[in-house]
Amino acid sequence: MRRILGILLTLLIIMNISACSNSNDDTKAIAEETVESNNDIIIRLAGGDWGFPSPYLHYSRGPGGFKMYLLFDSLLEKDENGIIPWIASEWRIENEGKDYIFTLNDNILWHDGEKLTPEDIKFTFDYYKQHPPVWNSLNVNGKYIVKNVEIIDETNLKIVVDSANATYLERLGKARILPKHIWKDVKDPKKFHSEKAAIGCGPYRFVEYNREQGAYKFEAFENYWGPKQRVKAIEWVPVSDEILAFEKGEIDTVSPSPDIIGRYEKDKGYAIKTNKGFWGYRLIFNMEKRSELKNINLRKAFAYGIDREEMVDKVSRGAAIAASMGYISKEHIWYNDNIQKYSYEPEKAKKFLKGKSYSFEILTGNKGAEIKIAELIKMTLKDIGIEIKIKSVDMKTRDAAVKNKEFEIALIGHGGWGSDPDSLREIYGTDTQEDGSPSSNSLPGYYNEKIIELSQKQMKELDKDKRKEIIYRLQELIAEEVPQIPLYNTRSYFVFRPLKYDGWMYTYDHHYPEHCKLSYLVREK
Amino acid sequence: MKKIIIYIRSASPIGKAAFLLLTAIIILSIFGSQLSRYPHDLSSGKSLEAPSKDHKLGTDDLGIDLWAQICNGARISMIISLGVATLACGIGSFIGIISGYKGGIIDYILMRFTDMVIVLPQLPTMIVLGAFFGPSIKNIIIVLSLFSWTRIARITRAKLLTIMEQDYIKIAKGYGASFKYIYLNHIQSQILPIIVLCFIKTTGKAIVAEASLSFLGLGDPTSKSWGLILNRAMDFNGIYFTPYWKWWVASPLIAIVLLVVSISLIGRELENKYDFKM
Repeated sequence: MRRILGILLTLLIIMNISACSNSNDDTKAIAEETVESNNDIIIRLAGGDWGFPSPYLHYSRGPGGFKMYLLFDSLLEKDENGIIPWIASEWRIENEGKDYIFTLNDNILWHDGEKLTPEDIKFTFDYYKQHPPVWNSLNVNGKYIVKNVEIIDETNLKIVVDSANATYLERLGKARILPKHIWKDVKDPKKFHSEKAAIGCGPYRFVEYNREQGAYKFEAFENYWGPKQRVKAIEWVPVSDEILAFEKGEIDTVSPSPDIIGRYEKDKGYAIKTNKGFWGYRLIFNMEKRSELKNINLRKAFAYGIDREEMVDKVSRGAAIAASMGYISKEHIWYNDNIQKYSYEPEKAKKFLKGKSYSFEILTGNKGAEIKIAELIKMTLKDIGIEIKIKSVDMKTRDAAVKNKEFEIALIGHGGWGSDPDSLREIYGTDTQEDGSPSSNSLPGYYNEKIIELSQKQMKELDKDKRKEIIYRLQELIAEEVPQIPLYNTRSYFVFRPLKYDGWMYTYDHHYPEHCKLSYLVREK
Repeated sequence: MKKIIIYIRSASPIGKAAFLLLTAIIILSIFGSQLSRYPHDLSSGKSLEAPSKDHKLGTDDLGIDLWAQICNGARISMIISLGVATLACGIGSFIGIISGYKGGIIDYILMRFTDMVIVLPQLPTMIVLGAFFGPSIKNIIIVLSLFSWTRIARITRAKLLTIMEQDYIKIAKGYGASFKYIYLNHIQSQILPIIVLCFIKTTGKAIVAEASLSFLGLGDPTSKSWGLILNRAMDFNGIYFTPYWKWWVASPLIAIVLLVVSISLIGRELENKYDFKM
């Protein structure tokens, strides 16, 4: 009997060893095959309807705008460290910051085969003046910044702007260039639903969009002028549960909660990145509708009465950081740590209320995290004497209500917390909505002369160090004033299968690799 | 009350168990706040605590006791389901009785209107109406009632048509009896058991429909019914890959199943008793 058992055991061990070696061989083969067939990679991502990917029809949030960015190129682009040449191979700034001279790359083709010329660029800047796109970087304080575009020769053009401004290079550089031959006859771009509206000169060309399913398909543009595409096609497919879809291989990336990240940490088939804290939630006060909120003591009572660390622990499961009351994200290079901080201190909050009680309605989206945040706010503020009624609507209704100032207090989450700190002016220093993005929503009814003055001053200061000083001072002032409550910035996980595709990168100012154009292109080492 | 006790005693063992279960849930919905140590709307423990002595059913991600939520959810689910059943039975039996009694053009109009409502796809229309009216308990009751009265109207009408063919009704009418007299003396007693049965069946359906609406995120976000508790649990990123589903998903799910099954079983008992199949 023992002998038989011994033989069986030996057989088992041999089988195991051979199985192991087979599995190693298989892995190697898969890896080699993957490397060999890199040109045929199709990336599938979780879908959802974010509008038609034209500069005028995409939804104003990241998943809409960044899809459009893959189809449309701009004069400049962003990488991990800063602004890089793109359609423009080089640029210089003259006439004390009022003339921007761009030299264009040669042989750039539109997706329909036409050649891109400086005329297209001139046309784009003229067209945007008449018809602002959804993401509009060319308006400052409600005024169009481009005065004139002069074509110097076939590869050079000069853009004359209204004034010297530290933010203008990025603003001009990120405007998406439109093909003149398609758009010149379009009178109302918001009604231009033709597939031609998605013809750009970006690395990917539009193939398919299904609004009902929230599905998109883009394919690599074979005659692209720039870096070669590493991904042959990108598909956004409808999924009901992203984790399940990722596990089944239906999609290639996912952002799981910290509770299940262990599943992927242990498995070498997966790689994990931590997203930058440039996406966050904030509580906006509508002081036009509820004038009580103009009282700084009431706003401070909110700041001390809301437990933001609890939100980080319970709603984000630890994958977040409590936001700075000066708005600039704690991971931003210009974040000022020496500003007034507000931890959860209900007793202090009560002192600011001076025995008064209030009742407000919080408008929020109907997705899990937002309702949970609203519930936590309701619970903690109840203790200090502020009654909260939660009104939840779908995300698009909430976004529209915030834009139209139809709320008392709004809870909203969005990206853009890593962008140029001129965002402080857009939020605190102006009452004009300069961009369709939720990140540029101003604060209804809020007015502070000093903040407005510094907001205006910072963008006109061309000396980087001096501008940084102003931004630091602005953060101090904002934190003292509490015109709104930045709640927390997420630092969620990004999980992918490196054997299938490992090109994911973060630009210096954005939180999510799926949105970055360079994630899909060959990078120079 | 005495009649109900006698009736329960005469029920089958399964029927008795169903009555017992329903009574327990009703008690839970009435005395829920006294039966739970913790509040249903405030954090009372750590996030996602497993069931323990302190928290019998564990806690959700905000640290709110799940037993307290289930007790409070029972009240909300009962209010919604009873509200829907009352409204639907009221509208349905009224239309059915008028239609069956009056006949002719009134019957034709009312029944074609009923047909029209029946052919509307229920869930999509409810979702649209739910989103349009906005999430609140009152609106949910109205939206669910709009689709629940049609069957009751048809059944009541069918029964009434049978009653109206009886000789004693014809004689009573011949002697000049009014609608009120005929209804109170001859119709009510025969129609009532059917309406009670409809009421119970509608209650069960309303619970499932409310849970569906809440699960789809169209319920009142501040009134945590069982469907909404389930919705919040399912909204948790990758819940099935964590141990949390064992208490967070299972508790409201089991509660819904138990309530719906007990109501269905009571419905069956009543069907057997009155020898009437719906």
